[in-house]
Amino acid sequence: MAGQLLFYLLALMTVGGAVAVVALPNPLYCVLSLVLTFLGLAGLYLSLNAQFVAVVQVIVYAGAIMMLFLFVVMLIDLRAEERGALRLPFQKLAGTIIALGVFAGLINLFVSTPLRTGAKGLFPPGRLAEIGTVQAVGKVLVTQYVLPFQAMGVLLFVGIVGAVVLAQRRTRQG
Amino acid sequence: MLAPLEHYLILSAVLFTLGVVGVVVRRNAIVVFLCIELMLNGANLAFIAHGSALDSLDGQLVVFFVMAVAAAEAAIGLAIVVLIYRNRESTDVDEMNLLKL
Repeated sequence: MAGQLLFYLLALMTVGGAVAVVALPNPLYCVLSLVLTFLGLAGLYLSLNAQFVAVVQVIVYAGAIMMLFLFVVMLIDLRAEERGALRLPFQKLAGTIIALGVFAGLINLFVSTPLRTGAKGLFPPGRLAEIGTVQAVGKVLVTQYVLPFQAMGVLLFVGIVGAVVLAQRRTRQG
Repeated sequence: MLAPLEHYLILSAVLFTLGVVGVVVRRNAIVVFLCIELMLNGANLAFIAHGSALDSLDGQLVVFFVMAVAAAEAAIGLAIVVLIYRNRESTDVDEMNLLKL
């Protein structure tokens, strides 16, 4: 019973932060609400035996990516979004209806089709203590998933080079 | 797992849907990026929930890669947003309707 209550508290924190991201007019408040969402998600990952991913979520997502967003928000002089006319008529209503369609599709998929039909992995309840640890993730990462791992390295390198190239100021010729 | 798998998946669907609403409705480019990150996190939660239900580590590995991709994408995307702001003095996505200023 306490377990379910904890789940609902974490879920409330996560969804509350997500609603605030979409609803608040000031972008700085939106960034901070998303940090709250990420912390709620980290708690949920802990409840799902994903300790390494939970810590990486806090360090990388809430710590690094959100700090990047905060830097950009501080660099750009932002006013709260102007209340001018939206480009399409009924944009908010149409957006909400489309999103409800997406939601209905997802719920249909999750609730009606039989789940858990995939092949069971290597961590039956007897080995539950090992599943999310750094050792387990690291071992699989360099043996079974080594090609995606190297591809991630290349991708991050491309990201760094791209960011440096984009940030350079053009010097005037002549 | 604190709750049945379906509860986690419904939460994941809610997060994804809120991200979709944000991308369509909000006009500030930075908030659109935040909602894209929200969608990615909804998918991450679905991956980890399924991985935990199937006693497998594969869900967590996929989330690891998704996070790396999201970090690279956020860095480049925000650099582009800053450059566009320098040129046009605005982050309103409704005003970015020309390829060349």
